[in-house]
Order: sequence, then structure tokens, then C-alpha cells
Amino acid sequence: MRLKSYEDMNLQELDVMKEISSIGTSHAATALSKLLQKEVRISIPEVNILGYEETVEKIGYIEELVAATLVRMSNEVNGLMLFIFKMDLANAVLEKLIGKRYESFEDMDEMDYSALEEIGNIIICSYVNAFTQLVGVEIDLSVPSSTVNMLGGILTVPIAEYGYVTDKLMYINAEFIMDGEKLSDGLLMLPDIESLNSILEKLGVS
Amino acid sequence: MAERELKVGIGDMKFTRGDSRIITYALGSCIGITFYDPFLKLGGLLHIMLPARTDPNDPKIFKYADSGIHETLRKLTAFGMVKSRTVVKIAGGAKMFEMKGNSDFGNIGQRNAAMVKKILMEERMRISAEDTGGTYARTMLLDVSNGDVVLRTVGKPEKHL
Repeated sequence: MRLKSYEDMNLQELDVMKEISSIGTSHAATALSKLLQKEVRISIPEVNILGYEETVEKIGYIEELVAATLVRMSNEVNGLMLFIFKMDLANAVLEKLIGKRYESFEDMDEMDYSALEEIGNIIICSYVNAFTQLVGVEIDLSVPSSTVNMLGGILTVPIAEYGYVTDKLMYINAEFIMDGEKLSDGLLMLPDIESLNSILEKLGVS
Repeated sequence: MAERELKVGIGDMKFTRGDSRIITYALGSCIGITFYDPFLKLGGLLHIMLPARTDPNDPKIFKYADSGIHETLRKLTAFGMVKSRTVVKIAGGAKMFEMKGNSDFGNIGQRNAAMVKKILMEERMRISAEDTGGTYARTMLLDVSNGDVVLRTVGKPEKHL
């Protein structure tokens, strides 16, 4: 059966996405760990298919200031990857990388932002690499683009991009664990529906 | 007198009269449109996400600029609003991410703004103030007791439209 929207995925298909995500996020954690020269563990991710408001609530609150890195996928899978940094993860990363901690994203400078963009890009790329190997598809990634702004505003980007097809987002929710501290991450993988169907087909679940 | 505050979600519209406020949070590429009839102290806030409703069976009327504005005007007019004295203000339509080498991406904000202006012009309604474009999200608030519109953005003082 061909899916028309994310919410059409059945339990088995969601399970498969969860399995792939688990491998993807663990690759991302390994990359982060190498970069920071520090043990980074990751919890088993949940894969959530949620509406806009539910996604906002799951990550934080609507006017919360967050940093986000966006990468576009093309070739055999088309879509978007979005990584969202909340303050705790941003601080953990920046402290290790440049030895600075901040109260708010507003206090950061260009260099801090570009460090975060790089980390976001590395996390996304290692996730997508694991994904391509596992599924056996080719995916090209664009140069990353970043912003620091209200969470609600950032999430309108994928919602509007696919607004004519679906009102749902696929939110992959895992926790990075560094020094015994749990750090929330927000990774959104948003293949278009055509691509999602071909992924599930390749994996033999659809 | 107790003040009421109504929240408008994405692709939705609320209207009210009297001592109340209507708010919508974090407009990114979306557009918030306020309609205010000062004589009746009747105000509405519409939060649209996309330019045009292409599927006539789509029940989400307020998600699109064209069907959203038409339906809002129909409702408000039914409550006595007179178009010629109604004050219209718009905000939003930002481009949250700048994609290098792909200028088309994320232009939805601009297309939303163009569509909203086109529909309002067809309806012969003048936009008395606007704050659109840019690269940041806006929270928009309409005070229905006096028609004041307040915009909140990150790292800037509040702005009255």
C-alpha cells in the first residue's frame, strides 16, 4: 500500500524507521564523541509522527530561542533534515569546543554560531550516511543553513514546505548523554512522501 | 474587568469583541492578518500558512490565504463589520533559512505575502500597516479594546504596528 502521508505508516513501518534511526543516531553520537574527544552515549530514539503544535510542545515552547541547522536531501531521497539545539546541548558542545558557556543564544557571537552549525551538520551527515548504507540509496546533501530564532518559527519551515501534502512532521527524539547529563536533541528527518514510500519499499516492509 | 486572551494556532482564525486580546505565536513564513472595526470594537486575527487552497475539498479553510481571508471577512461581516472602516494589518512572511545555491527554497513567506496583498486588494481593503519579510519569527497580538497591534521578535524591543 502506498502511503499518502506520514501518519499512514503502520506499526511495523514505524518500527523499521525506529530501527534505522537508532543506527543513524548512534553514528551521530560517535561522530560527536570523536569531535569532542569525550564519551557520548545516546538513548534509543523514539520516532514520533506529530502535528506542528505537538512537535513544538515535545521539543520546548513556541517562543523558545533555539539554534537550528537545516540540510536539504536530494537524489534518491528528497526532503529536509533539521537539527535543533536547545541551550543545554549547545552549552555542552561549546564548552568542550571553545571553552565558553552562555545564559542565552542571544549572547553568542558569529563564531559560536558557526561552531554550532558545523556540529549540526556533522550530526546530520553521519545520520544520513548510516541511513544510506542501510537502505541502499544515494542521498546528496546541500550545504547547511542555520538560524537562531523562535522554535515555533523554525518549525513552520518544514510544515510549510510539505503543507500541501501533510500536516505532520517526523520527529526523531533521542537523548545524548555526556558526563552523566542528559541532553535533549531534536532531529527531524522529513523525506517527501514519494521518497518515504521508496525507502519502505527498498526495506521490504511496504 | 477581566481581560480575555484568545490564542490562534497555525492555520486558524479567532475573533471577538470588547476587552480581549487575540495572540498568535512565532509567525515564521506564515502571515498574521488582523482585522479591526473600531466602531464596533470587533477584531479578528487570521494565521495563514500557504498561499492558495488548491483542493476545494480541503476542510482547513484558514490554512490558506485565499480561502482564509474570504471566510474571515464573511464571518466578521455577519457580525456587523463594515469593510470600508476596517483596519487591516499584516505581519510575518519571513525567510527563516537562507539556502546557498537554492534561492527558491524557503520563499514561501514572500509568496504568502504577495497572495495576502492580492486578495485584500481584490476585496478593496487597504493595509494600513505591515511588517513582513526578514529572517526572524514574530509573535503578533491584537488588543481588541483599542485596535493596537503589538509585534514581538527576538532581540528587539516590542513594536506597535
